[in-house]
Amino acid sequence: MMDLFSELFDMFDNMGPFSAPQMTPKENRVCPVCGHTWADFNKTGKFGCGECYKTFESGASSVLRQVHSSAQHVGKVPSKSGTQIKAKRRLDELKRKLKEAVAAENYEEAARLHAEIKSIEGGALK
Amino acid sequence: MIWYNDLNDGIVISSRIRLARNLDKTPFPAALKDKAAVTKQLQDSILKSNSTLANDFELYELDKKNKEEKLKLLEEHLISPQMMQGNGRSVLINKNRTMSIMFMEEDHIRLQIIMGGYHLDEAYDLADKVDDVIEESLTYAYDEKFGYLTACPTNAGTGLRASVMMHLPGLVLTGNINRVMQSISGMGIAVRGMYGEGTSSEGSMFQISNNITMGLTEQEILNKVKNVVNKLSDLEKEARKILISKNKTGIEDKVCRAYGILKYARSISSAEAKQLLSDVMLGQNMGIIKCDGKMTPLELMIKIAPAVISDGGGLSAAERDVKRADMIRANV
Ligand SMILES: [Zn+2]
Repeated sequence: MMDLFSELFDMFDNMGPFSAPQMTPKENRVCPVCGHTWADFNKTGKFGCGECYKTFESGASSVLRQVHSSAQHVGKVPSKSGTQIKAKRRLDELKRKLKEAVAAENYEEAARLHAEIKSIEGGALK
Repeated sequence: MIWYNDLNDGIVISSRIRLARNLDKTPFPAALKDKAAVTKQLQDSILKSNSTLANDFELYELDKKNKEEKLKLLEEHLISPQMMQGNGRSVLINKNRTMSIMFMEEDHIRLQIIMGGYHLDEAYDLADKVDDVIEESLTYAYDEKFGYLTACPTNAGTGLRASVMMHLPGLVLTGNINRVMQSISGMGIAVRGMYGEGTSSEGSMFQISNNITMGLTEQEILNKVKNVVNKLSDLEKEARKILISKNKTGIEDKVCRAYGILKYARSISSAEAKQLLSDVMLGQNMGIIKCDGKMTPLELMIKIAPAVISDGGGLSAAERDVKRADMIRANV
């Protein structure tokens, strides 16, 4: 049981607005693929390539939150490159359910979810 | 079947799905130097795939097409207005003209499915399958956190735009349309005119689509759009009932006068023609009038737009009005 609660605390630690990155979009980084700068984005409102999203990650996050009220994709995962991402999504979902089960004092369900999470994480380590 | 010939209830005109996709480690079209080589790779992902899709497509290289041919594609909603300009742009279109894959628009790939009537889920399922076929031979620009990466942040995440075109003359005639549209605007749903962004809603035609592409699953986005469309459909039906019950003669008179003008006018502006065709469509759906001309009012509405009428032939506004009236008289 101790193990279960420490995991829950970990989850709270990783959550939410407290860990939001500092906004430093003015930095003079240049995208290695397309050569665009953050000033280029400010001028056109468009990115030069996919890599720009990583190069200007904090700026991109902030813009996306303004536009969509979210900077986290939860939709389709490409079938070819997405196996790992899908496993991680499943893990996140199980952890969310575990939290709900504990909150509802449904300890039987919580223990079952905990076991499933452990087995997936164990599998990923091998 | 071309989408505007498909039968429907006269309220939901068409359903459209668009997915924006880009290649990994490759500048987006606006910043891309060698468009030809990348385009070849993109086209091959469909044309050289093992899928049955490969044989279903015709390739249109827009640099080699004249303005008239491009306008025809625009009129059928198979290319976006942006595809009319610039260079290095091409599009694959399937045989029954419901699917178009645009290359080098704002993004490397814009996959679009358009169907007559209310078929948003069907259209998405098809787009989803074609998306998987394309992905087999190339790697998309995709990030675990940000999803599918697009030139404009307004499309990032799912890259999905789900649009439904609706004919809402009842809500316009009963004076309810502004109030209804205001109540929708706070829901992450955009309302636009017939030809998408920046176009006005002439002829009581409205395009309903999602604004938000990130933080929701594809199914949640589709459901959100469908909820609004269903609501609008119900309100429109209600408004039509009120029109009949409050002033039956008034609405019949309006519809039949509209038909009379379309049948006999010798010169007519685009705005007036669209309004009158909308009235006739309404009369047709309400069983007031039967149109047995060569074209449906909806098809005419599409074919009388100024750009389509002038055929790139540089006609003056007055000349266009005469040509438009001729075309309507012969086909309504
Ligand atoms: Zn870049």
